[in-house]
Amino acid sequence: MSAFLEYVPGTSPLHRMNPVAKLAAAALFAVACFCSSNLVFLAVLLACGFALAATCGMLRPAVGLAKAVFAFSLILTLVQILTTPTGAVLVALPWGYIGTGSLLAALTTVVRLVAAAIPLFLVFYVTKMNDITNAVVKVLHVPYKYAFTFTSTIHFIPLFMNDMKGIMEAQTARGVEFDAGGIVRKVRLMVPLCVPLLVSSVRKTNSAAIAAEVRGFNLRTASSGYKEYPFAAFDVAAMAAAVALVVCAVALGIVL
Amino acid sequence: MIEFKDVHVSYEASAPILKGVNFAIRDGEFVAFVGTNGAGKSTTMRLMNGLLKPDAGQVLIDGVSTAELRTSELARRVGFLFQNPDRQICCTTVREELLFGFRALGQAGAEADARVDAIIEEFGFDPDDDPFLLNRGARQLLALASIVVLAPPVVVLDEPTTGLDYRECEKVMAIIRRIHEQGATVIMVCHDMEVVADYATRCIVMSDGRVVDDAPTFEVLRNRDTLERASLVPPQIVDLSLELGRAIPRLADAPVGSANTVDEMLAAVVEEARGAQDEERSVSA
Repeated sequence: MSAFLEYVPGTSPLHRMNPVAKLAAAALFAVACFCSSNLVFLAVLLACGFALAATCGMLRPAVGLAKAVFAFSLILTLVQILTTPTGAVLVALPWGYIGTGSLLAALTTVVRLVAAAIPLFLVFYVTKMNDITNAVVKVLHVPYKYAFTFTSTIHFIPLFMNDMKGIMEAQTARGVEFDAGGIVRKVRLMVPLCVPLLVSSVRKTNSAAIAAEVRGFNLRTASSGYKEYPFAAFDVAAMAAAVALVVCAVALGIVL
Repeated sequence: MIEFKDVHVSYEASAPILKGVNFAIRDGEFVAFVGTNGAGKSTTMRLMNGLLKPDAGQVLIDGVSTAELRTSELARRVGFLFQNPDRQICCTTVREELLFGFRALGQAGAEADARVDAIIEEFGFDPDDDPFLLNRGARQLLALASIVVLAPPVVVLDEPTTGLDYRECEKVMAIIRRIHEQGATVIMVCHDMEVVADYATRCIVMSDGRVVDDAPTFEVLRNRDTLERASLVPPQIVDLSLELGRAIPRLADAPVGSANTVDEMLAAVVEEARGAQDEERSVSA
């Protein structure tokens, strides 16, 4: 089992796609999600996201991600429920009401966020970080340092999560109870976690920067990579399908 | 007393880490766990203080299963020193760091202050130093001190000497020996067989998630089969002694062939040399 956002080797069509095509298609997919407020259309996109995950054996991480995004979007939905008084009145509030429209809007937000997130995260599970960096530099001519910064940021997320887990274990072993007490106590307990995590992240970043510099980081150009990233028919088809989704989303918005 | 009864652990169903581990450690023992990376030593350590619960079997601390105890409760009985002190250190001064454990366990007070003061003096710390600005060895000592100050009856050490120079290693191990002499049970994972030979009285060898040998330290370190199975290299003196015994069969049962320490080897060699000298004299006479 891989860590969060860590590449999982495979030979699925998604694994074999051009990294730039994957990124572009995922970004267009997300754009389609944000261009439409039609719940049925968004539900179809969500189902497509899970289907894509299933094709490369990443259904379980996709479900896990969906749960995480759902938990995160609960705050947004709460705000939306309390501040969007539309539809038939369900609960009266001093400043308005909670209506059927409020619940529908909240549900739409959750489905939209989850549907948009899955393909974007899937890209990192099915593409080597080096391939993303090199392809973005070669194909899109993004300066290497920017591409490297982006992929390094993503690369550090699972490392920091692992560090956080280790730090929590160390504090638990010293008697700290992270799962007990109220929210104030839990926030207070986070401070001892943040300090070592911050120190560790600064040390890691510094080491990575030194390691990159001593290996000629500043000399790297688009032509430094030997691997080519040609577009195949499947890549073009995937991007065309993603564009079609955006068109559908916009058209639905105009028609309905 | 710590007992492992047919303990099985796996992070993934397809790759079990521990495959039926059994042993018992009595109070006051100094036990070293040795074996290659991936043998299951660190997992075994994490089971002892409840950071990990067994998938099957039982881990008993003084007769109580760790599955029934919260890790914070276990923290009072089992102190755990991690390999990387930077994961453990979290306060902005040495004094605060040493008090952290007391606060976490709800034991802060005058007695805790007094114990912290005593430890600061004993370890030679500056109480106002920033722990993150100390060198690696000093940070490891501070992490150890923050365990020792709580005086737990059992101390579990996961590779306490990794990354330390000889002098730092000696300092850390001297403290560990002292807490053992004061009655604590010490359980240590260590890759340095010289350290194991110098300090541990019992050695448990692990390989591929199983205990492959469990005996007094030098019995294990002189067992070629065990060493080979666990890819271990014996301490130099033990190795020399074994090699001499193998090269000159007469010496195998002599003191030279059974010497485990420098002192024992020195005494054995001197005795052997004197014997040879006496023999030479008697021949020439």
